[in-house]
Amino acid sequence: MAYALHFPRSFEEAFRLLDPQGQPPALPLAGGTDLLPAVEAGRWHPGALVSLSRLPLATFERAGDEVLIGGTLPLRRLEREPAIGELLPGFAEALREVGSVPLRHRATLGGNVVRASPASDLLPPLLALEASLDLRSQHGRRRVALVDFLRGSWETTLQRGELVERIRVPVPRPGSYRWQRVRPANDISQVGVATALVTSDARSPWRIAAGGMESHPQRLSGAEAALPQEDPSPGEIEEAVHRAREGTRLKDDRRAGEEYRRHLLGVLLRRSITSTVERARSMKGRRT
Amino acid sequence: MTGEPPLTLRVNGEERTVPEVAADTRLLDLLRWRLGLKGTKEGCRTGGCGACTVLVNGESVLSCLTLAREMERQEVTTVEGLTGTPEAEAVQQAFAEAGAVQCGYCTPGFVLALVSLRREHGASPPDLPTLANELGGNLCRCTGYYAIVRALADLLGVPVTSELPKSTFTVEPGGSP
Amino acid sequence: MIRTDALPKARGALPYAPDVELPGMLWAVYVTSPHPHAEIRRVDTAGAREVPGVVDVLTAEDLPGLLPREPEPTRPLLATKVTRFVGEPVALVAAENLPAARAGASRVQVDYRVLPAFTDLEREFPHWPTPEEMRSHPQVNAHVHARRGDFDQVAHRADHVHRERYQTAMVAQVPLEPHACLARVQGDDWYVLTTTQAPFGIREDLADKLGLPQEKVRVEGTWVGGGFGGKNEALLEPHALLLSRRTGRPVRIALTFQEEFLFSRTTQPAIFWMESCLKDGKLVARRTRLLLDTGASLPGRDFALGYSLGFTLGPYRLESFELEGYALRTHRPPFGPHRAPLAPQCTFASEGHLDSLARDRGEDPVEFRLRHVWRPGDRTALGQPVGPFAAEAGLRRARETARAWKASAPPGHGVGVALGFWSTGTGAGGEARLTLSPEGLVLLQGEREIGNGSIWQGLPEVVAATLGVPPAIVSVRYGDTAHAPFDSGVWGSRTTAALGYAVAKAAEGLRRELERRAPGSGPVSFTARDGALTVAREGRSYPATDLMTPEERAEGGLRVEAKHYGKNEGTLEEGLVLEGEMFPYSDLIASVHVAEVSVDRETGAVKVLRYAAFQDAGKVVNPPGYRGQVEGAIVMGLGTALTEEGLLDPEGHLANPGLLDYRIPTLSDPPPELTIVALEGSLGSGVWGSKGVGEPPIIPVPAAVANAVADATGARVTVLPLTPERVSQALRGGARDPGGGRR
Repeated sequence: MAYALHFPRSFEEAFRLLDPQGQPPALPLAGGTDLLPAVEAGRWHPGALVSLSRLPLATFERAGDEVLIGGTLPLRRLEREPAIGELLPGFAEALREVGSVPLRHRATLGGNVVRASPASDLLPPLLALEASLDLRSQHGRRRVALVDFLRGSWETTLQRGELVERIRVPVPRPGSYRWQRVRPANDISQVGVATALVTSDARSPWRIAAGGMESHPQRLSGAEAALPQEDPSPGEIEEAVHRAREGTRLKDDRRAGEEYRRHLLGVLLRRSITSTVERARSMKGRRT
Repeated sequence: MTGEPPLTLRVNGEERTVPEVAADTRLLDLLRWRLGLKGTKEGCRTGGCGACTVLVNGESVLSCLTLAREMERQEVTTVEGLTGTPEAEAVQQAFAEAGAVQCGYCTPGFVLALVSLRREHGASPPDLPTLANELGGNLCRCTGYYAIVRALADLLGVPVTSELPKSTFTVEPGGSP
Repeated sequence: MIRTDALPKARGALPYAPDVELPGMLWAVYVTSPHPHAEIRRVDTAGAREVPGVVDVLTAEDLPGLLPREPEPTRPLLATKVTRFVGEPVALVAAENLPAARAGASRVQVDYRVLPAFTDLEREFPHWPTPEEMRSHPQVNAHVHARRGDFDQVAHRADHVHRERYQTAMVAQVPLEPHACLARVQGDDWYVLTTTQAPFGIREDLADKLGLPQEKVRVEGTWVGGGFGGKNEALLEPHALLLSRRTGRPVRIALTFQEEFLFSRTTQPAIFWMESCLKDGKLVARRTRLLLDTGASLPGRDFALGYSLGFTLGPYRLESFELEGYALRTHRPPFGPHRAPLAPQCTFASEGHLDSLARDRGEDPVEFRLRHVWRPGDRTALGQPVGPFAAEAGLRRARETARAWKASAPPGHGVGVALGFWSTGTGAGGEARLTLSPEGLVLLQGEREIGNGSIWQGLPEVVAATLGVPPAIVSVRYGDTAHAPFDSGVWGSRTTAALGYAVAKAAEGLRRELERRAPGSGPVSFTARDGALTVAREGRSYPATDLMTPEERAEGGLRVEAKHYGKNEGTLEEGLVLEGEMFPYSDLIASVHVAEVSVDRETGAVKVLRYAAFQDAGKVVNPPGYRGQVEGAIVMGLGTALTEEGLLDPEGHLANPGLLDYRIPTLSDPPPELTIVALEGSLGSGVWGSKGVGEPPIIPVPAAVANAVADATGARVTVLPLTPERVSQALRGGARDPGGGRR
């Protein structure tokens, strides 16, 4: 359990400390709300933790048609950014469902993304919003779409020695997040469905993603394709629900059975679509 | 334990230097066992109950999920440091008067979380449902939360609104046939 | 009146057991079994002893003479040849600090041979077993069979026999303060400071476990961070004392929350097969068959089964009945007391079954209950006379509320009623010592305030009311078991009612003594002046302390002592055919609850919107304390009803030993509208006719919620808790019920 703890003040120092060849590995420490219990429970055996708290990563910026969210920005600060509520309502409602306020004062978006929990409440909306990541290592920077970054439960394409510098999310995007839990507050979702609308796409303006999958949260492109227009007909919605349920492998664990999750996926997708349609109307109304 | 560096931080307004703080020491344990501040309670130790809530630079955090050495040169406030300030006394008094303190083990955590929320919202105080919702990470097993909501409503000077837990209690004759 | 412990607690100024330390103290941590059932071939502690800071390692080998002598030990202090549940203590490591103790514990090598485990009642018993199967079943701990009349014959002649199966889950007390203690053995003084509901009970338990006379064991309480039944028994104390004895140092042990779930004693799953016979519209007979998982060990004799079985008949007139149950020893955490042990579960089965029977027959379930409920003068199924009992009065109030809510609720909402009954521990004895001194009126107490207010607020109220003075002049002082008068403990809803009785007698004794001593002959009255008791007679008034003798002055005051040992009334009916042990009831208490729910028909999520509790109070002694108990119990009951469930993975490990996945209610969960009515008048045997309140209000909660869900949807969920998944499956029909042990 004994590990070293470092507080690098520059990226160079951080990358040196996060040496990809080091054994046992050095792990980056952001909020620590997930990592520390995992280390204490023996799921990780790091040789060192490299705190990112002294690096200039807790940033938030609106740049044109994107918001740029620094990797170590605490979730609570993100949630209280007025731009998030106004421009990304679906993401905003998911943010408020993560843990508790004291937890969100330390937990970070970069940490949540890197962790790639199958039950994350933030990954479905970020996937539906077509978020991408700016990753940085001693070799430079690379940008990767979130959908390509996630590889499996707790599994990503993040390389050792690589940090999440920023999460990029296009704005504005009407959207919504619908989830189901055994206990409404302070629990882990059994299924979460996010939908969002993009402005121009010949195939479909809908972006849909869900958590509670057998693997990591995923886009449901089959369901998206069933919705050719912003204001879908009841028949189109049912077709989307049908495709989502048929084309998806869902988890079967102590939090919910596979059959119930499949049922929920349809219910929550319907609800999320309806809510996003309403939000799109009101966001348009606000702009005109 | 030897060879670990000292840690300097501000606790309850005073600069403190604690020798030999191991890397994996939690803020909770530093406060309780190195600084003797036992008002911060140890509950579940996994971020699920809120009993160990303290303020770091004025914001509520879970001291069980925070490494002590992350606090280098930061300002940590515990219930001992907050007690006596008007903002804490108001909360403590409201809890006591509403009957929201039974076993009391969760209460300091509630006080700190609530003070942090009221500071955070500042000039535009949240309505009662928002405040109640944002206290959702603090668990209480004794009161069923009714008295806690009464305390919140008293603090805000508003009645308990319809969607929040509200109870009435009467003692009546008529128990015998 | 504000409780005087409230502000100090809110300021973090009062110590709890996990907060206490002594100079030179060692920290001890457990090495626990990772297997539900395994043979221990070898315990190697050499590695642990090499860890810098480790001072001592305790294993079963170090406990000669302290191991139970039965062929298969049921409650060893440390596992010997076998481990019987995940989390069973195998060894302890004591060190100079916690990290060293943990490091040491991780270096204790235990060589296990894994044995087949029995952890899933449902899988083992898909059907009620035959007597032949059970005769040879190795896991049967106890068997109870009681009957009056011949159920099968009655069923044969009945117009209708209603049959259902109910199932309940593992639920835990989850006080926010984990168990912790600090022991110091010096010579013959075996001293332990601990978080407990019953210092004297712990003392007896420790003396028994350690083979010591009780006088050598000294137990001191602290402020207790909630108990709910989980802090009645010596758990860590024997280990801490033994380590202190061996090392000559004070030893602290505190459980993690994970250990708390694994080896503190709690409620395990149960399966109920319920059958009820109707003849001419009347309930004439009921049979309950119960399989109760009692985990890896039982506290003492099998009280759980014999006590709980009777509650499955409900408080209803029956011409004949049959009760049969088996307590099964499984490889799960041990069973233990938990706020009205098993009564919420039994009542879920019993009142769900009654509700479903009435609805099936097209009768209003409350009317059906009113036609059959016990009234004073009736006899219970076990043959005891029914004394003062407000069940009928409560049902009438509930009928009124349910009708009004049904009329005002939006379509799709459901309203359900349930009646729970309980028999409290007011028979258990207590002693009081009240001292009049210059410092005021002081009650010396061994028991500490556990949160409900009974010690810190209830007892002073009783003294104050007896003398007719404000409670502020009465204070409680704490002592350890060597100094404070005996009491049975803060459990069984008994403290204010039963210990309060002894306190009232002491206050009465003080009043008589002061009346005897006060000069003059007119009536004496008491008031409080400047925080002191003041006596007035024939126009003169003076401090009561003026009436003390010089000896009393020298010895700290005028001391009055009193005892109250109640009795458990009645005996079991003579004509009862009984195998095994059952227990008579003392005071009967009714709780009649009404729940209004909305059900999300798509997700299965249940929301409780309005809730009413009509409580058979006898007499309310401490109104704010009473209210706090009812509010807290109902919300805890909602956890049992809707979200709380200890889940085992297929290997028999508890999958959710923490607060994220073991879901106790949060601030958003309680019903927005709760109406509590304490119905006074059916007096009990506690002080002033009180009956006790800690447990009764939790009892009908799961049943009331399930009955409301059935009213809203027509679907009856017979498995606790009513998670969205279970409700959704019941609504969609056909889908396999996930049963217990899953979700």
